[in-house]
Amino acid sequence: MSAALDNDELAEATRLLRESAAGIAPRGGDRRRVRALRFQPPGFDPALLRAMGEQGWIGLRLPEEKGGAGLGLTALCALAEELGAALAPEPLIPAMLSAALLAAVDAEAPLDGLLSGEALVLTAWQEAPSALAAPGTAEAPRLFIPQAGGASAFLVPVRQGDGMALLLQPAESAELSLQKTQDGGFFGTLRPGSGTPIGTVSPGILADALEEAALATAASLLGVMDQTFTLTLDYLRTRQQFGRPIGSFQALQHRAADLQIQIALSRASIAAAAALLDEGQAPRAERRAAVSRAKARASDAAMLVTRQAIQLHGGIGYTDEADISLYLRKAMVLASQFGSAAMHRRRFAEEAREDEA
Amino acid sequence: MTDLNAMSDEAFRAEVRRFVEAEYPPELRNPPHRLHWEQGKPWFEKLRARGWVAPGWPRELGGMGLDASKQIILIEEYERHGVARLPDHGVIMLGPLLIRFGTEEQRQRFLPRILAGEDIWCQGYSEPGAGSDLASLRTEAVLDGDHYVVNGQKIWTTLATDANWIFCLVRTDKSAKKQDGISFLLIDMKMPGVTVRPIINLALHDEFCEVFFDNVRVPKENLVGEPNKGWSMAKALLGFERIFLGSPRQSGYALARLKLLAERMGVSDDPDFADRYTRLRMDLEDHKDLYETYVAVLRRGETLGPDVSMLKLHQAELFQRITELMLEIAGEHAGLLEPMEGNRDLHPAGQFIEARPTTIYGGSSEIQRGILAKNVLGLPG
Repeated sequence: MSAALDNDELAEATRLLRESAAGIAPRGGDRRRVRALRFQPPGFDPALLRAMGEQGWIGLRLPEEKGGAGLGLTALCALAEELGAALAPEPLIPAMLSAALLAAVDAEAPLDGLLSGEALVLTAWQEAPSALAAPGTAEAPRLFIPQAGGASAFLVPVRQGDGMALLLQPAESAELSLQKTQDGGFFGTLRPGSGTPIGTVSPGILADALEEAALATAASLLGVMDQTFTLTLDYLRTRQQFGRPIGSFQALQHRAADLQIQIALSRASIAAAAALLDEGQAPRAERRAAVSRAKARASDAAMLVTRQAIQLHGGIGYTDEADISLYLRKAMVLASQFGSAAMHRRRFAEEAREDEA
Repeated sequence: MTDLNAMSDEAFRAEVRRFVEAEYPPELRNPPHRLHWEQGKPWFEKLRARGWVAPGWPRELGGMGLDASKQIILIEEYERHGVARLPDHGVIMLGPLLIRFGTEEQRQRFLPRILAGEDIWCQGYSEPGAGSDLASLRTEAVLDGDHYVVNGQKIWTTLATDANWIFCLVRTDKSAKKQDGISFLLIDMKMPGVTVRPIINLALHDEFCEVFFDNVRVPKENLVGEPNKGWSMAKALLGFERIFLGSPRQSGYALARLKLLAERMGVSDDPDFADRYTRLRMDLEDHKDLYETYVAVLRRGETLGPDVSMLKLHQAELFQRITELMLEIAGEHAGLLEPMEGNRDLHPAGQFIEARPTTIYGGSSEIQRGILAKNVLGLPG
């Protein structure tokens, strides 16, 4: 949190952020843009990523002296929620992860390109499914790099003694394979090769950046579930069967109430974790426990809400043509990204202090 | 008395903490069921001596005059210490109703006696045929000269055996639409024709009662507000106290006892148990975060919307899930009537039974889901 901003200014900055997000990628309307981009490399719109760069979003978390906006996690979560609700396929959160690392080693040229949205740098940190830890094994293939087909370079962390060396691997020379994802994007698998060392960070820097990415992804999931629920409520109010709107049936009303509770719990958990991280005083274990709790809740709740949305839409919900399916597919990808619910529950059990209760 | 509102929140919290730690009877901490008046009286006397009987009433009427934020702190500290709830319908329900809707004469007559512990009030709302559908209540009050003649029956009347007065919703106009013919009437339980019969509940405790009215003559000045306006008055009183039905206290205390039981049963490290225990812990922590968002609304001096139903609903079901896991790990102890090894904190069966009514009282979970669906999500009726 920037010390220069008081609470009111911060609330105003967050509100403006939501507004500009809605301007660039609106949550309402049809999903024609999303449909046009899906399964077509690179799986997102580079022009829109540039627009996000121009808005200063890629550098949202960086201090002003590093070319950033100096905003906190509360602001980031608001932005991620809006873009999640809009199903925006642009890899903003992975780009921000790279920005944190490039800024830490003062790698000016790649950082400038990344912050402007012109040259996407993606961090190839992951070596196993459902992980949030980056071991930095030199030879290990790097997995599940989101929207890897659109990167101009990869940042490969490699463990060296107590530090984490960062190797910059240009896309032209990268040994990369792509897999399509349910939401229309692409996961990349990278075989580490001849990257150029650009500096070394402490593993804590990378770990903290991954915490932030996990929390922001939880906020994206909140946006996904919130918009899914809005569309589903509209459907329950209008769809007629047996001469009545189906939303008048008690079985469906009660299910809707249960979904609302899960969304409210997700929102509260994410907001509390963001506030804890912004406040900056809590010990690392407590921060990790809070992030894990938020991500586990958001992953499970988003899967529940999107699954139920398909069920509540009936036959039309099983068609690819109905937009509601796009939200389920998005949740399927984000639920495990930066740690699945099960992984985060295990981590919570290890990290969380037993309450006096 | 010092103006407690003028104290900082931290100083006030410390003051409350000092008070309960020094004065609250230790044997009454976290009792497994509601205290009878006689059991709770030593604590009531401490509150009375300090002028702390009625936190929310204005100071000129003998209350503490606390703003919402200070009241929340008071309740948080009471909950933290395991302070039991006294028979408090006079303080929590009737007092605020008389302060808002009563006559000066009614306030002068009833409020001081509540503060002095001379009148113990109970609440006569539910009837055998009017539970979740409360507005269909049939206990009837017919005007006869200067008196209402009351006939009918109330049920689930908490601690009616301890009370000497009951405030009732009664039907005064049978021709009106259901909610419109209901009035709010104060009845002296010593009047001829009032009979109280305790009901033994699942916990084998006589916490609630049936109350019968057989031609009870009630002076008409005991009617509060206007005739036939009782329903909207009672509803207006469902104020910010609703948040406390969603307090994480019950679940937090139960989870600590689940942990103790797991250690005693040697299953703490069992992976299946550990996973389920972690899920419950995370549910509780998320619930606390959600609860805090509603507390923040009150601290800002705003009023709660119907979405507060979520809190009560989630808390009650979480409390039940925790006690259900207790039964699963307890083996044959799950069938014991008394605590294990005489330890009140090792009583899975008792906790399980204690959790049963939480999804029924204060608006059942089904009613709460209906409120959420219709009044919050805007689904059609």
